[in-house]
This record gives sequence, structure tokens and C-alpha cells, in this order.
Amino acid sequence: MDSKYLIGIVAVIIIAVIAGAVLMGGSSTHRADDELVVAAYSHGGEPEAGFDPILGWNYLAEPLIQSTLLKMTPNMEYKNDLATSWKANSNFTQYTVNIRDDVKFTDNTTLDAEDVAFTYNEAAKNGASDLDFTSLKNATAKNSTTVVFDLNRPDSTFVDKFAYLGIVPSDSYNNNTYGSHPVGSGPYKFVQWDKGQQVILEKNNDYYGKQPEFKKLTILFEMNDAAFNSAKKHEVDVAAVPLAYANETVDGYKMNLLDTIDVRGLSLPVVNDTGNKTADGNPIGNNVTGDKAIREALSYGINRTTIAKGALNGFGYPNFDGIAHQLPWANAQVNNISDGNVTQAKKILSDAGWKDTDGDGIVEKNGTKASINVYYSAEASERQAIAVTLAEQAKEFGIEINAIGSNWDEMDSHVNSDPIVWGWGSTDPSTMYNQYYSNLSGHEYSNPASVNNSAVDGHINNAMKMDRNSSYSEWSAVSWDGSTGISPLGDAAWLWVGEIKYGYYVDDSLDISEKTALLQPHGGDIFSNIYDWHRVSSIEK
Amino acid sequence: MANSNNGPSIYNPFAKLNLRTKTLITIGLSVFILVIVVISSLFINSGDITTNFQAMNKPPSFEHFFGTDWMGRDMFTRTLKGLGLSVQIGAGASILSSLIAIVLSFIGSTNRFLDGVISWLVDLFLSIPHILLIILISISLGGGAFGVTVGVALTHWTSLTRVLRAEIKQIKTSDFVKLSERFGKSKLWIARKHILPLVTTQIIVGTILIFPHAIMHEASVTFLGFGLSPHEPAIGIILSESMKYLATGNWWLALFPGLSLLILVLLFDIAGENIKKILDPTSANE
Repeated sequence: MDSKYLIGIVAVIIIAVIAGAVLMGGSSTHRADDELVVAAYSHGGEPEAGFDPILGWNYLAEPLIQSTLLKMTPNMEYKNDLATSWKANSNFTQYTVNIRDDVKFTDNTTLDAEDVAFTYNEAAKNGASDLDFTSLKNATAKNSTTVVFDLNRPDSTFVDKFAYLGIVPSDSYNNNTYGSHPVGSGPYKFVQWDKGQQVILEKNNDYYGKQPEFKKLTILFEMNDAAFNSAKKHEVDVAAVPLAYANETVDGYKMNLLDTIDVRGLSLPVVNDTGNKTADGNPIGNNVTGDKAIREALSYGINRTTIAKGALNGFGYPNFDGIAHQLPWANAQVNNISDGNVTQAKKILSDAGWKDTDGDGIVEKNGTKASINVYYSAEASERQAIAVTLAEQAKEFGIEINAIGSNWDEMDSHVNSDPIVWGWGSTDPSTMYNQYYSNLSGHEYSNPASVNNSAVDGHINNAMKMDRNSSYSEWSAVSWDGSTGISPLGDAAWLWVGEIKYGYYVDDSLDISEKTALLQPHGGDIFSNIYDWHRVSSIEK
Repeated sequence: MANSNNGPSIYNPFAKLNLRTKTLITIGLSVFILVIVVISSLFINSGDITTNFQAMNKPPSFEHFFGTDWMGRDMFTRTLKGLGLSVQIGAGASILSSLIAIVLSFIGSTNRFLDGVISWLVDLFLSIPHILLIILISISLGGGAFGVTVGVALTHWTSLTRVLRAEIKQIKTSDFVKLSERFGKSKLWIARKHILPLVTTQIIVGTILIFPHAIMHEASVTFLGFGLSPHEPAIGIILSESMKYLATGNWWLALFPGLSLLILVLLFDIAGENIKKILDPTSANE
């Protein structure tokens, strides 16, 4: 009979899977001590468009193949890299950057101001959508070592962009081919890209900065359990794993947990659904989260400490406003909120007229049931855990959360109308401009909650006109300025939950110099201090 | 099922029973277990399978028969819920499939042209891999349990249609059908009074035997990540999630749900084969 075959096949599959797990191991690829094999990379895994900074390659992280004008330091200040000096005019609408004159691309052409101007102009015109160069009007090379950036609005955060974008050679750049044959001036040069598998880089001996110790760097595009298995098989020096694996022990490896400024939270659309649509035709607003009482009840009712301990495997850190607690513009008042208060959440709801009239444990108001859909990316296990835990917690005070695992293509149409579990975090405060500035709502992932608060806009406008150190207080006021803001104390426009950590299994023979590592931005930046990595002993074979 | 002839012993009470009783007992037992699975799964509200991060990745114990997963959820209840869902989808799909098969095979019997169209349809559907068709259909219907059910239903009617079509053709050549035609009975009358009673056995057995296929395909589709959210308890989702944690040594996440699926499918197969023996005694001697 046909079904007997089916049964047989399933039995064989189950046995094979279990046997495979038991027999995991076997031969491993050998690598020399001066070579690195790493199953870790930055945001989003293998770059679809290749290693082209203009198309998004390692925008928030060390691009390796290319180099940047400035570099971030662990104490969150910028130091010169390609740049020798930079200055901005008094209202931050024009930046002048002087660059080194001794830098060569790996194709032996000289990197000059024209290449810098070209890269920035190209990124502003044709760049990937997650690159934020909306404030750049034009970049011009004044002479071979001076670039002038003219902006169309005051933007004191433009200095952050100097640390993000790798410079490409203007003469040979072609946006169709560059991604798979990149040429740059970074610490490593490109050798080979086996799509779907790995990229091989070789040390750039002409690099002008501190030379890394390792001659060859192979980045494997393995994720999650595949990366974990590679570590178990001793095939890699570093393996990035989800937090759910971080409590395992792997022989010959130590678990390095790097601090991040990467925060997980939900956008709660603050407007009601009145039938308005975005330019792409997606609905705007949500009749449940449009009521401030619902947003407040969620903000005070859920227990972020429990989530940090549970869903984030004990590595989380509660967060209330999306600003990681290590950042200089973190808001102390907001971070002192006490949550997990179910009684308070119930009171907020009943004061606003949300009552459970039909006895199903979920409150209603004017015939609307307090039931919301929360979308999460099915690939991210920590987002799934957050969504599921939130659903359980919210039920206790009468709000129903239906967690829906999805993909970004599908979620795109829900961005402005349903809560979505987001991950955000960078040392660039302009992420707050993208998240909360009223005018930006409806454009892709900008301001998904449709925040429209003139005080918030005002603080952002002010911060954009102030130099970095003095702007911190204005950025912090976006969260809460004593009378309003986006945090639970004000509009409660987002339900921020917690900061995560990035977990890497690192071979015992390798020191990744944790103390010089940068605070990891969203997506991670494991290679930020590759110059300081050091092989302390021979690899155990 | 097939052990009736190897050395009956007077000490073995089962051996004293005749084939009919044994068959009935087998059917009774398997149907009983299946019904228990479905009923108990109906009493589990998926919202009640809560996370418990204090008890993550616990191996099987008396508290958690099937252990717990990475969010500390009890795998026994999740598996039971998943099996229940599988059976429901399987039921929906096999009943729909059978209805399609009945309608198509009767339409095909009315005239030669329609018969050609229907055999062509059967060939068409058989020539596309089931799993691809199911994924295509369930995605175009917006996914979810509904999409998967319809997807499975629209792909599993082919073999039953073929069987019924052949059966009906044979019956139509028999003398009593010809006689009724001479008496001027309508085609509908012949279909109802002559053909339908004779193919009922095929229909019932066919429907039950679609079950295991439907369940397997439901599990495969959810295993591949189509249809349902990854936190929902469906057997395929449970199995695909277990793959991620096999590397960390959590063997119970795959073993018990996998075995349960296997047993469930086997039970349907046993029930189907034995019901066939009862309804169609000639096949009992095969």
C-alpha cells in the first residue's frame, strides 16, 4: 500500500535526524593559527547585493573591505580614520572633512576627496533604503584632500554617517558588478565569494591603520543552529548564536556575551483607523492601540524584568523608551519607571471605560474588544519569545494579544496599523528622528506608530542644530521632557521591552579583546575591533 | 493484522477469536484511540500552553511526559494539540477530497467527452508534485489552517476518482444497468439506485485511507514553514523547531512528537484496512 511507503519514509527521516544529531561531529576543516574562520557577520546574514556599502553592506558595522572617514571608539566618541580633521558650520548644514593623502585602494589607485564625494552622492541618490542620507544635498571635492558636504536641513547627526559608509573608488565603481568584486581601502581585501556559503578575505598589507594579526579571514554564512554545529565540530573560531543557545557549553569554546544597544520593542499605532491609507495603500491606525489607556496599561502592566529573565534567557535588560541604558542620552526618569503592575494596568483600563462585559476575561469599550495582533519576524526566536510572553502577560489585565509569526514582505502592509516587534539600536541618535518625527510617518519603516507630538518634533529639531555633546539633553527629552514625550510617562507610543546581548562562541585559542569591542549596534558588529584580536595559543586539533 | 495463522495457541485468548471479531476489535481500538486524541486536543486551548522559562529544555519526566521546549512549554500538550489539529485538517481534507472524487467520477460516467476531461484532470494533478501544489494553493488562499486544508483537499481526490471511475465503468456494463436503461430509467435514477450502493464501500474505505496521506502532507507543509505561525502547535512546526535544538542534545523534542505522528498515521491505516475487510469480505481473503 502507498501509505505504508509514507510511514516508512517518515520513520526513516526521524531515525536519520536523531542519528545525525547523535553522531554529530566527524572530520573538521583545519586552519592555520594566522587564519580566522568566523560564522558571524552583521545584520541580515549574507548581503544579497554583495559587499557594496552603497547597497547596504555593513552600514552600521565595520565594513572590513572598505574604510570609513571616522571610527567609533568604545567610549562612544569618534576618532579620525580616513579623515584627518572635520568641522561643521554653526547650524550644522555644512560639514568640511579633510582626508589623508596616503591611502590607496587595493587596485593601487589613490583614494582622494573625489572618491569620498562620489560615494556619498551615490549613496544619497541610489543607495539602499536603509541608508539614511536624506539630509545630504550634495558632497563636493574642493581639492584632492578636502570634501564639503552641503545639507538640506540642519543635521548634527551627520557626523555619525561618516563612521558608517565605506568609501568606494569613483573611477571603477559600477553598481552592478562592484558588490561581487569589491575594491576598497580597509584592513582586508576581497578574494572570493562563494554565494550562499562563504566569503574569503585576505589581509591588506597596504592598510594605513593598525594591521590585524590574521592573514586570512573566512566568513561563513551560517546562521543559528548551523553556526552552533560548526562550533561543536571545531570548524570555526567564532560562531554567532541566538540567545537560546547561549547557556550551552561547547568544549574548547567560551561564550562571549557582548553588550549591545540593540533594543526590542513594539510600535503601538497611536491613531485610530479612520480609513486613511499610506502612499503604498496600507491602512493607517488601530482602534485599540489608538486609545492611550490601552498603551499605558500595556506599558505599566507587562513585566519587563520577567521578560529579560525568561524570553531573553536572563541576558536581557529592561528598557522603556528604546534608548539603551548605556547611551549618553538615556533618560534616567524613564528608566526608573516601575512596571509589572497588573492592578495599575486594570485601573487604567477601567478608568478609561474598558470593561469586561461578556465575561471572557478580555475588556471591551463601545463594542470594541481589546484584542490586537502583534506581528513578529518568524526568523528571530527572541522576537517570537517576546511576542508569546507579552500575550500571556497582557491576558492577565484583560488585553488579548494574538501573536502572528510572519515575514517582512507580509509585515510591510501592517507596519502602520498593527504592533510589530522591532529591533533598533545604534550610536546614532537620528534613529529617534526616524522613529518618532511626525512628518516621516507612512514612509517605509519610519514612524510606524504615527507619533504626532509637536514637542517631540521640537526637541528633535533642536537637537539637530546642536553639537553632539549638548544635543544629548534634547534627545533625552524626546523620551520625556517633564510634560510629554514618547515614553510611557508621556504618549506611551511604543512598548519598548528590553535590550538584548549578542552571544558568540569563541575558540579558547582566540582572544577577541572584549574590552575594546564597541557596544554592539542592531545587527551586531563583531569585527569592530578585529585589529585587536589575538591568537593566544595554537588551535587545538 | 496478519498473524491469524501462525500457530494458534489455546493459552492465547486472542487466538480463539475469529477473524471478524478480531477485525472489529482492531477497528474499535484504533478508532477509540483516535477519538480520544481528537477529543482531548479539543479541550486544550492553545492559549493555555504557557511558557515557563524556569523549566526550559527539560528532558521527559513524570511532570512533563514529553519534556519541555526552549520556552518551557509542555511538549505533551503541544503534541496532543498538534495531533488534534492534524486530524481535523485531515478530516476536512479527506471528506472534501472524497466529495470531489464522487462528483467528478459520476460526472465522468455521463458521457465520453466529460470522461476524457476528467481523466485528463486526474493526470494533470498527478503530474505535479503534491507538496508543491499544496504550498501554492495554501499560500494563494492566505495560509492558515484553512489554506492548508483546502490545499490538501484539492490534491488528494485523484486516486479515489480513478478507482471510482473504473468501478462505475464496470458496473455500467452489467446486465441490470442495461435492463434499467431499457426500462427508460433516468441516468440519475441509475446512478442513485444501482451505482451508488455498489461503490459506497470504495468511498468509505477511500476516504479513510486518504487520512494518513492528508495528515502526512499537512505535517510536511507546516514543517517547511508554510501555513501557520511558528509558535502554534502543529506537528510539522514542532518537528522543524526540534531540529534547531537537536544539536544541543534535546532529543525528546523530535522523538516523541515524531513517534506520535507515526502512530497516529498507522492507526488510521490499520482502521482503514480493517474496515475494508468488514465492508468488503472478499478482500479479507487476499
